[in-house]
Amino acid sequence: MMSRERLISKEQLAKMIDHTLLKPSDTEGKIKRLCEEAIAYGFGAVCVNPYYVPLVSELLKDTGIKVCAVVGFPLGATLPEVKAHEARIVVEKGAQEVDMVMNIGAMRSRDYEAVKRDIEGVVRAVREVGGELVKVILETGYLTDDEKVRACELAMEAGADYVKTSTGFGPMGALPEDVRLMRKVVGDKMGIKAAGGIGNFMDALRLIEAGADRIGASAGVGILEGYDWAELTNSWFVEPIPCTLCPSRYADLSKQPTAVYLYYKERCRTCPDKEFNRFYER
Amino acid sequence: MFGWIGRILRVDLESGKISEEGLKEEILGEFLGGRGLGVRVIFEELEPRIDPLSPENKIVFSTGPLTGTPAPTSGRYCVVSKSPLTGTIFDSHSGGSFGPELKKAGYDAFVVEGESQEPAYVWIEDGEAELRDASGLWGLSTHETTSKLLELTDPGARVACIGPAGERLVKMAAIMNDMNRAAGRGGLGAVMGSKKLKAISVKGSGTIAVAEEEEMRELLRMTSIILRKNSTTDKWLPTLGTALLVNIINELGMFPTRNFQEGVFEDAEGISGEKMTETILVGKRACHACPIGCGRVTKTSNMEGEGPEYETIWAFGAQCGINDLEAIANANYLCNQLGLDTISTGNTIGCAMELSERGIIGDGIEFGDSEKMVELVRQIALRQGFGDELAEGSMRFAESHNRPDLAMQVKGLELPAYDPRGAQGHALAYATSNRGGCHLRAYVIGPEVLGMAVRVNRFTTEGKADLVALLQDFTAAIDSMIVCLFSSFALNPSHYARLLTTVTGREFGREDLFKIGERIWNLEKLFNLREGLSRDDDTLPPRFLEETLPEGGSRERVVRLREMLDEYYAIRGWTDQGVPTKEKLEELGLEGGHISA
Repeated sequence: MMSRERLISKEQLAKMIDHTLLKPSDTEGKIKRLCEEAIAYGFGAVCVNPYYVPLVSELLKDTGIKVCAVVGFPLGATLPEVKAHEARIVVEKGAQEVDMVMNIGAMRSRDYEAVKRDIEGVVRAVREVGGELVKVILETGYLTDDEKVRACELAMEAGADYVKTSTGFGPMGALPEDVRLMRKVVGDKMGIKAAGGIGNFMDALRLIEAGADRIGASAGVGILEGYDWAELTNSWFVEPIPCTLCPSRYADLSKQPTAVYLYYKERCRTCPDKEFNRFYER
Repeated sequence: MFGWIGRILRVDLESGKISEEGLKEEILGEFLGGRGLGVRVIFEELEPRIDPLSPENKIVFSTGPLTGTPAPTSGRYCVVSKSPLTGTIFDSHSGGSFGPELKKAGYDAFVVEGESQEPAYVWIEDGEAELRDASGLWGLSTHETTSKLLELTDPGARVACIGPAGERLVKMAAIMNDMNRAAGRGGLGAVMGSKKLKAISVKGSGTIAVAEEEEMRELLRMTSIILRKNSTTDKWLPTLGTALLVNIINELGMFPTRNFQEGVFEDAEGISGEKMTETILVGKRACHACPIGCGRVTKTSNMEGEGPEYETIWAFGAQCGINDLEAIANANYLCNQLGLDTISTGNTIGCAMELSERGIIGDGIEFGDSEKMVELVRQIALRQGFGDELAEGSMRFAESHNRPDLAMQVKGLELPAYDPRGAQGHALAYATSNRGGCHLRAYVIGPEVLGMAVRVNRFTTEGKADLVALLQDFTAAIDSMIVCLFSSFALNPSHYARLLTTVTGREFGREDLFKIGERIWNLEKLFNLREGLSRDDDTLPPRFLEETLPEGGSRERVVRLREMLDEYYAIRGWTDQGVPTKEKLEELGLEGGHISA
């Protein structure tokens, strides 16, 4: 049960945030501001598309803030050689961390060898040129729980350092239940990065409580600014009804494969908390 | 002195005497300025239970330590008096540039007392004040008055004035400044009217000293990052104005429609901020030192001006069943020119429409009749015909027809544009508001609807009493600095404490702000208790406690006020009758104002 008496410090929270801008429309000016904000708030890392890595790496030189680049982003469906090559180049151009998107299609096709080889290629490339961390984005909104478990195992076997929930461009964002499941699989052998739709300090705290070590968010400034309010009242910590945070609430047939959508909806019917699942929420 | 000027001007309209006094030391740290200063003056200087429209009432125009500095959104001032609409203590706020100009002219505030025999206006210029004859201005609209005064005083002056509504003591008369900005709520324009004070024109060339110039520059850089990073202050408000809320609130089924009988307006899209941008918007305007710029300059086929704001669009739109954006804008322009509060005016007209629909009055004012609605605005301001009845506000009007339950008000102040059945915390904020039915004593819509700082469940009562008290205290502090509440969508309490410290050179911590806010809130409560208000007044119209909305995202719910109110009083350190205890008053340094529990 979270409460204001058990909060981590603002500085600790800042260090856990990967300050992020990944929209295709983001301009150089916005990336420069992103770096200014990261310095001002003491964020742990700045996460950008590969094109901006040289700029960010220059702007963050000697600040101690890590440069993180996304690879195979956001679909994860490119060739393994291309991902590995992309990973190598971004590290050479100044990134210390690489967030790669898993081959989601191969995962859903149960071609686990292909998934693992894809990750291994990136891990090897990053290590060879002195990169520090590889995070594997599962894009949980496309997966069932069994697939999430298998994906975590494959990432671990492939030697990656972190598993990460989402790209922010897929059908679902980061949810505590997914993070909890991922932590159960990877234990303390890997880190977990929660990303996608994290808009305020309560979203962040819930994910941290569920087991996340890193928070990927474009709303880092808002999260930290809002954090000032966290200590002022326990009203923020009133538990929402279980459905509010359940992945099934966010299932969307227009964005997900039919089988995945039905998987989530089927869970609602057998959910022990199904009494909450009605229009007239208490 | 930094931040504050340290001087208050006092004008006695009875004797014509103009005097100055120093700002008391205890005010600075304990009440800041603005609302806190005004409330303190009114509490101390008013005899209990006086008629708000008598010479015994006083009216305070006040600024705060941040007013007129480069602090973001610091262009506001505040008017405090006893309200003729509610009988409570009342502070009404406005933006523009009048507040900063008053400070540059050498005063933190000025207090007006007594009553003039003939219409008068006050001319203040760089530390000199003069009472002048306003016979030639009496009867003029606010725009005409402003233009005339700029000729008579100084073209660069800033003017606050009343229109014909204030002169006729309409209980929802506004005070207008900079042409189209309104200290709208509570009928304080009528207080000016009762004193035959038509206007104040002010011109100043002074500067407001900031204690830590370098620290201020760094702080402004930081606040600029934060305001730019927040989508509400950087994108939504500048692009769509406050009208951005029309579609959001309607979607949630809490856009009060036809006098709060429904929560979904079928034609909301046609009166939305998006529609306004496509049709009547011709420009945008920002107040002093405001990076947000939510002001709208608009033009219809036959009128032009500023606004309408979200609340106004609702008041003359959904509340009256009207989907004609031109008519809504015209009603808004008329209110600005004649000096009326748009929320109370539209709400009261909607109330009359329901009484008419039910056959209680025979005046045939139907929901949706935009032509009649606009005409009624004029009649209310001029107290002509049926408008004379409505000029007393919805509570008195509905009572006079033996249906007080059909007036959508709290403590006499007409409710604004959020149905409380859709947000339990906001309902509690309405009920416990010291100035009556108001959304700005504690904007619980922030967390309950907009997710600021965090989204909380709008239908639960759990945790709401604490949240409401917290936001009431915070807002009272904000209103005393003074900055615009919109900046708090992005900035947090610690930033304001830092701004205050940097500007004044006195140390303010975050906790100090909440203590100051709590002190002000309690003093306002003491004033209202002294006036005879009680727990029975901390309530809502029965419609919200007993009737559910027929459709939409807030249907099948009522306000569960009782369970929140007891908890709220306990959190406040008040008795179960809502009276501050001796211990609480001692804690706040308000022992002198103690009312026996």
